[in-house]
Amino acid sequence: MSEVSGDLPLDAPAGRGSAVYDDLKSRFFPTPLSGLATLAGLALAGWILWHALQWALFDAVFTGPPEACREAAGACWAVIHARWRLMFFGLYPHEEHWRSALACLLFLGVIGASCMPRLWQAGRLAVLWIAGFAGFLLLMRGGVLGLSYVPQEKWGGLTLSIFIFVATVLIGMPLAVALALLRRASLPLVARLAGLLIDGIRSLPLITILFALAVVLPILAPGALGSKLTRVILGMALFFAAYQAEIIRSGIQSLPAGQEEAAKALGLHYWRRMAKVILPQAFRRALPPTISQLAIIFMEVAMVMIVGIFDFLASGNAAYGSGEWNFANVEVYVFIALVYFVFVFSLSRYGAYLERRMRVGK
Amino acid sequence: MKKPALRALAVLCGAALSLATLLPASADTLDEVKERGALNCTGHNGSYLGLAEVDDTGNWKGLDIDFCRALATAVFGTYEGHLNIVPISWAQRWPLLQSGELDVVVKSSDWTASRDSELGLQFSSVYVFTSQKVMAHKELGAETLADLDGGSICVPAGTSTEKLLASYLAAHGIDMEIIASEKTEESQAAYLSGRCDAYAEWDVQLAVARLNAENEADHVILPDTFAAGPCGMVVRENDDHWLDIVNFTLSTMLTAEQAGVTQANVDEMKANPPTPDIAKMLGVTPGYGSRVGLSDSFGYDIIKAVGNYNDVWERNLGQGSPYKLARGPNELWQNGGVLFPMIMD
Repeated sequence: MSEVSGDLPLDAPAGRGSAVYDDLKSRFFPTPLSGLATLAGLALAGWILWHALQWALFDAVFTGPPEACREAAGACWAVIHARWRLMFFGLYPHEEHWRSALACLLFLGVIGASCMPRLWQAGRLAVLWIAGFAGFLLLMRGGVLGLSYVPQEKWGGLTLSIFIFVATVLIGMPLAVALALLRRASLPLVARLAGLLIDGIRSLPLITILFALAVVLPILAPGALGSKLTRVILGMALFFAAYQAEIIRSGIQSLPAGQEEAAKALGLHYWRRMAKVILPQAFRRALPPTISQLAIIFMEVAMVMIVGIFDFLASGNAAYGSGEWNFANVEVYVFIALVYFVFVFSLSRYGAYLERRMRVGK
Repeated sequence: MKKPALRALAVLCGAALSLATLLPASADTLDEVKERGALNCTGHNGSYLGLAEVDDTGNWKGLDIDFCRALATAVFGTYEGHLNIVPISWAQRWPLLQSGELDVVVKSSDWTASRDSELGLQFSSVYVFTSQKVMAHKELGAETLADLDGGSICVPAGTSTEKLLASYLAAHGIDMEIIASEKTEESQAAYLSGRCDAYAEWDVQLAVARLNAENEADHVILPDTFAAGPCGMVVRENDDHWLDIVNFTLSTMLTAEQAGVTQANVDEMKANPPTPDIAKMLGVTPGYGSRVGLSDSFGYDIIKAVGNYNDVWERNLGQGSPYKLARGPNELWQNGGVLFPMIMD
């Protein structure tokens, strides 16, 4: 949008600058009334932005004791400065926070690595994830290699939220594929049962499932299905799998029947047909709803707070939950929202990248 | 303090509990705790101001937490390494107690008739009285709630506070407009912005609201207590021995306050006990702790590790805390409160 070429011959098309000018004029100022609306809109947006910036940056207090915030007109980010470790690591022992941080980074690294197409081979991904999980548990639990033992009840904060999300998806995704295939099985009994299971889970609110597994199960069958965290992850995985199974099934059913028939004609047996022909295409078609299902489940992890798991949200609640910092609850929630935004926005941008790469919808 | 959204959970809990009461009662909790090597006590899923909070380094603190610590100390001589604070929500406390995952619930739980009977729970002596009070703008010059007749009052909607306030106002012929908002934070903001003349909540929340005000001195908490909840520590029914230990722990902390034994002077007191009763309580002469299967020095251990009742109050809710709450009904009976220890003999 730089130079206006005045020395071009007169019959040449107008320079880019004036084209931009014409474009702007016709889009935003075609009539005096629309021009006025444009200006008013700009002014409003500017006013909101100005006040938001003033609150969040110019008048804000970034460090110091709570008293420093009370005089300031803007946001009190000092609460984040003072309590960020509590929010990220929850009740994890203070002097061992580096382990929780490292475990969290390890998981983010593994997630990032498995997003790279270069590593998309069953063998490589399996090694990566088994190593990632082993490393995570080693760091978080400890009890070996001179690391002190930290029980699961003390895990918390963002690290725990990410762990629950990852474990939910890793258990839930294969389960979803299995359920989707079972629901399309040719044996009516199997298909009906799978349908019943999927619809049964989908008609229960997540909170009921969590509550039943975390609170009711230990009364009915003490010690069944492991610790509370394990039970909660299993419940989340089941919930995720029921929805994801339907997404995958919709992907499978959107494929032309010819695909499966051609594969049959080539003499491929069931598993090869599914693994090589049907599922890859189904996943491609189901990518947009899969990404949104992942975003939804990432945010629904916050529900585990209700059964007393000290996730990121519960830790945030504890961060402003003291007499000194109670006034700064808005800042804490804005910060939590920001962190969630970073994660979910990256997820959807990655989804968009995948779609471009696979040319879905073209 | 129960929100309507929690009622669905409460119903679920009820269903779970009616199943739980069918199970055989557990054996001796003290043996289980000793075998496990740690007491499982209640925390909170987040923070409950003044009673269960988390400090900057991720350690629990608060009045309820200190009672958990006192109990763990009574059993093991120290709470370090012998106490698991389990973070749980309100709705989980009874099912987890019944299923044996918790040994005791210390979670500012009101002693109600239905809990004591239908839910199969056993309450200890009252360890704290939560008072519901009213705060007003100082410029109104009100000295009691009756002076606010004709004014307006902010209260969180759908809570027991709203119901109790309405019946108190009706019973005393005070005519006030009740303005209910969905959340505690909303009613607090409405009051602070001048939308209401007064604000009703339980006293710790009022103290917090006053802290959040621009000028603390502009607000006054009126002396009227329109409702109060007797809170006990809660154990499973049919375990009298464990209940005794809980009651002995509380009673020791109150006896120590009554006798002037504090966390600061407990070593001197143990070296030179001024009375035979203090000598007995601190384990200088035997025969106190062994009555309930504890070590004779458990009284000394508790006071040394956690303090007497007053130490605990001042640290968490009183002058040593941001809330600066007076003891009010939580004074000893001699000072006009409702708390009392057993007689030391």
